[in-house]
Amino acid sequence: MKSFRSGKTAIRRPSVIVGGMLLFLLLAAPVRSAETDAITPVEDFSRELDKLKKSFDDLGKKIDGSAKMIDGLSAEGASDVDKAKKEIEDLRAAVSSLLAVVADGGTLDKLGDTALSRARDKLKELERDNRFKQEEKDFLIEQWRRLRDDTDRATQELGSARSRFAELLRMLQANEDFIDELVQIRQAQKVIDVIHQLTREIRGTSDQLQRLINGIKSPRA
Amino acid sequence: MGSRRGSSVAQLLMAVVGAVSLAGCPFIEDAGYVEIKLAPAETATALYLNSRRLKRLNKGTAVLRENVGTAELATEGNQGRLIVLCDIEVRKDRITAVTISVLDRPPRCQCQNSISNTDAARVRPYCVG
Repeated sequence: MKSFRSGKTAIRRPSVIVGGMLLFLLLAAPVRSAETDAITPVEDFSRELDKLKKSFDDLGKKIDGSAKMIDGLSAEGASDVDKAKKEIEDLRAAVSSLLAVVADGGTLDKLGDTALSRARDKLKELERDNRFKQEEKDFLIEQWRRLRDDTDRATQELGSARSRFAELLRMLQANEDFIDELVQIRQAQKVIDVIHQLTREIRGTSDQLQRLINGIKSPRA
Repeated sequence: MGSRRGSSVAQLLMAVVGAVSLAGCPFIEDAGYVEIKLAPAETATALYLNSRRLKRLNKGTAVLRENVGTAELATEGNQGRLIVLCDIEVRKDRITAVTISVLDRPPRCQCQNSISNTDAARVRPYCVG
């Protein structure tokens, strides 16, 4: 009898295991999609919206932290300006990563579209369906209409969040460029004024964003 | 024997990593954003960014993520031929805004910020972020 740890078998056994892993990984995605039902796209969209709200809390803290840090900088020394610029750059990167989620064609946009078209298709299907009694059919149609309207509302609110993030990014980059120009002509006091004005604007935008994000209601099944 | 076994396992592991990468893990590149606004907003104009057709703009506005570099914004001309309206510079974690005036024929790009046309070879607007 051949030992598992000798000859060709010793080489083949891990090969079989790794090959099996490869097959499993390649098949995993189709298996999952086969398990989806009509409500899954709405639930996926809802879940991702909740994730966005959580990520926004982190960004909100970052905005507040940056605003405090920039605000606390004194007018003395070039290193403070460098710190402020670095902070603005970091904030821009943080806003950018969140904008990626809500951008057109981004994760949430695609999920919202899928959820909305699924709800619309389901409504069309139900209107043609003769399996149920009229009151049962009316009930199901009413439920799907509610889901469709909630999803539609959530995608509209997402559109507003997208515009706000874009506006914030534009504000940060415009101020950053202006500060760069001022540094080049050694206008230290003016740099500090711009930084403090930016801090106020960031705080204002942060408050508006917070209200907006908190107001987004996920469609619930 | 041990080293042969080790190398074939390593090869298979590399194949697994390669297959997983191909199966859907996106390759992360530096990216920025392009904001497109239509004027007037409620107009159905087919727009293409780097030859990729954009879905109808919601309320005449779209914010799209693009890899860093220069993107071409185009519209559909006669017989489906693409007409490039402007070039858009995409920089890391920055946004470049452009408004498309569809009242003009062909539609015209109005860059929020642009580089003045000092280069004689440049015949269309160049929007920067």
